[in-house]
Amino acid sequence: MRRSSECGSAEHLISRRQALGTLAGAAVGGFGLSSLMQEAVAADMKQKGKQVLFIWLDGGMSQFESWDPKPDSEFGGPFRSIKTSVPGTHISELMPDTAKIMHHLAVVRSMSTKDPNHSTGVPRMQRGDPANRGVPYPYLGAAVTKLLGFPANGLPPYIWIKPGSAGFIYQEAGFLGSKYGALALGDGKPPIHIHRPESVTDETDAARHELRRLANARFRLDRRDSEVDAYEQSYEMAVQLMKRKELFDNTRLPAKDIERYGTHPLGRHLLQARVLLEAGVQFVKVTSYHWDTHGDNFNMSQQMVPQIDKPFAAIVNDLEDRGMLDNVVVVLMSEFGRTPTINSRIGRDHWPDAWSLALAGAGINRGALIGKTTKDGAWVDGEGYDVGDLFHTVFRALGINPNKAHYDNNGQPLPIVRDDCFAIDGALA
Amino acid sequence: MPKPAANESVESLLSEAQGPAFDPAKAHIGPAFKHERQLIRARFSADGKFVAAAGLDKLIHVWDLESGKKHTLPGHATWVSSLVFHPKGRQLFTADFHGTIHCWDFATPDSKPLFTITGADANITRALAVMLDGAHVLSGGDDCTVRVWSTKDGAKVKQWPGHKGCIFSIAVHPDGKSVASGDLFGTVKHWDFATDKCVRDLDAKELHTRKEDFIADVGGVRCIAFDAKGATMVIGGLSNAESNAFCPGTPLALLFDWGTGKKTQEFKLANKSDGPINAVRFLQNGMIAGFGETQNGAQTELAFWQPDKSEPLHSLKAQSAYDLDIHPDGLRLLAPLFIPMGSGGNGAREKQKANYIPNASVVQIFNLFADPKAKDPKNAKKKA
Repeated sequence: MRRSSECGSAEHLISRRQALGTLAGAAVGGFGLSSLMQEAVAADMKQKGKQVLFIWLDGGMSQFESWDPKPDSEFGGPFRSIKTSVPGTHISELMPDTAKIMHHLAVVRSMSTKDPNHSTGVPRMQRGDPANRGVPYPYLGAAVTKLLGFPANGLPPYIWIKPGSAGFIYQEAGFLGSKYGALALGDGKPPIHIHRPESVTDETDAARHELRRLANARFRLDRRDSEVDAYEQSYEMAVQLMKRKELFDNTRLPAKDIERYGTHPLGRHLLQARVLLEAGVQFVKVTSYHWDTHGDNFNMSQQMVPQIDKPFAAIVNDLEDRGMLDNVVVVLMSEFGRTPTINSRIGRDHWPDAWSLALAGAGINRGALIGKTTKDGAWVDGEGYDVGDLFHTVFRALGINPNKAHYDNNGQPLPIVRDDCFAIDGALA
Repeated sequence: MPKPAANESVESLLSEAQGPAFDPAKAHIGPAFKHERQLIRARFSADGKFVAAAGLDKLIHVWDLESGKKHTLPGHATWVSSLVFHPKGRQLFTADFHGTIHCWDFATPDSKPLFTITGADANITRALAVMLDGAHVLSGGDDCTVRVWSTKDGAKVKQWPGHKGCIFSIAVHPDGKSVASGDLFGTVKHWDFATDKCVRDLDAKELHTRKEDFIADVGGVRCIAFDAKGATMVIGGLSNAESNAFCPGTPLALLFDWGTGKKTQEFKLANKSDGPINAVRFLQNGMIAGFGETQNGAQTELAFWQPDKSEPLHSLKAQSAYDLDIHPDGLRLLAPLFIPMGSGGNGAREKQKANYIPNASVVQIFNLFADPKAKDPKNAKKKA
């Protein structure tokens, strides 16, 4: 299999040279030209107001029971493949609603990654599998926040809707600094204390905020900026959210929408994601856990895959109906797929060797079916793509040239993507 | 357990049946039929002369126990989920994951189905059973409805809605009038065949788990069996599932007094095993046999329980099994066992591409009597 990193096309070689040249220039210039370029990129993006919906099915959804069914192969499951809105493209019968919106999607069936473990695979995938630069790289949401800049609407730029606990997950920011972390909404609920007590008047509230700012300014005198920035950032986000309490008022949601998305966690969380994207939140991550179906894969998939099928189709349709799909990059993926072989518990194990993901929205080539697997579904047939290639693709879809933009780590320029990877062929419009 | 004697001659099987004394405490492995794909169902024919098995390769495999010869029936468009022999004739009923039921003349190789029932369920048909008089075959599956079909032509006779979850198992009571069906949520429904009424629900909720953070229901009543007189019923499945991903839990079988509907015993496996008890059978002395399923291709066990004790009297270590049947002579059990082929576990296997093959199975017979070879002092000397 020819890997992206081995690609020798003239176009890629030029891209690599350009990237290396940019990095070299950045290294010499420090905060000079490259920083200006960075600011220009961010300003441009701010104007366009691109957004991201990143859906993460933690544990690994089976590609056989979703995007790449092989019902007639020795490794195929028992479910049928069905036609989609793209002639010639079939997916699992467990995804009937998604089949109807296939013309909005680009499905990549030739992901081939390296890590078969959850503990290392999840951060590796969500960080774009960066080369070791001696610093923790940011997760995609934090990276996009840095690269696009904080949106003018004052809302948290990176919100993570997840089951379980809430909080500010600064760890996802990596070396970028805590303020680029994710505001996690446990079970989609608003942060606690979002409602100001009635006894606190507007005047009192303004006074206490002023006091906090003064205290911060004094505190900042002998502290690293990033620590105070993160604190101030999170506080300001909280203030903005307190003004937008309606974003968490589910009674405002039409019953029909609740029905269309489903009342299970993924349905509720994706509907919440739509509300947040409509409000202008720049990056929304929605996580669903327990997709690691080592046991009883087929009974579990039969129950679980419809839980992504229905709300995923609903949100893509809604984004399209609202004219937002041209502006929002949608990614639906896991850390890997699942094994072709079926184990003793009638389950499937981890399979990074050949698996699928779906893209939609801004900058994405709609209706594209990218790559293929061998007849038995076990291996990529042709060129495989790594997560570094995905990051190139997502950044380019956002209008960010990954070969020009870079991070500035206290004067040290760092690439935002692996420089041995490239955008997935055919994924971009 | 020693390696299965794959495709060992079975010519002695039927003659042996005349002699040995039933003794499940001395159960040992007998002949076996190896197959290169995973099989999940296996049954003896009513006359005890044939074995049929099916599973992931969609075909129906039939072995003649006298000659050891195998033939294949064309099978289904998808995995076979259930199979059952007619109690008298040459009919074999098989069901699949698309809700189709085929009726075969099982003794005729490569024959077409005698008839086919499509849409027997909205999705998966998971369970089949034939009434004792052979007039009707019953099916159940995802749409929570037991359906009754004529064994003559497959015409639908009637149906019994009422389950709240998919039906995993059906068994006919020895009185020939009552039917039990078990579902995902651990409910066993007692149906009166003549009146079509649900007489009562028996509660086996231990076999279902849905914790707050789960995104799927785990478990179900995976198997049902009655004792010969119909005084007790045993069911099997998985309790206390810890997640809906690995679905690890505690394998559990439950004994019910059929008259009162009360649980009288819980049966557990002796060795570590994390999957459901997929199959249970009553033996001729009232003991119960059950088979486990476990992760990573490790060994689980075929357990033999006395009705009044939770722990097994005797166990045979074995790979995971998904079905269990008893020969009409009462002296042998039959189970489709998982055989790992070295391609298991997590991926990043590009270097092993050439050797990456599906897992396999062996249709294993377990003899419920003392191993005559083990008793023979001459053989013992030779082995020494």
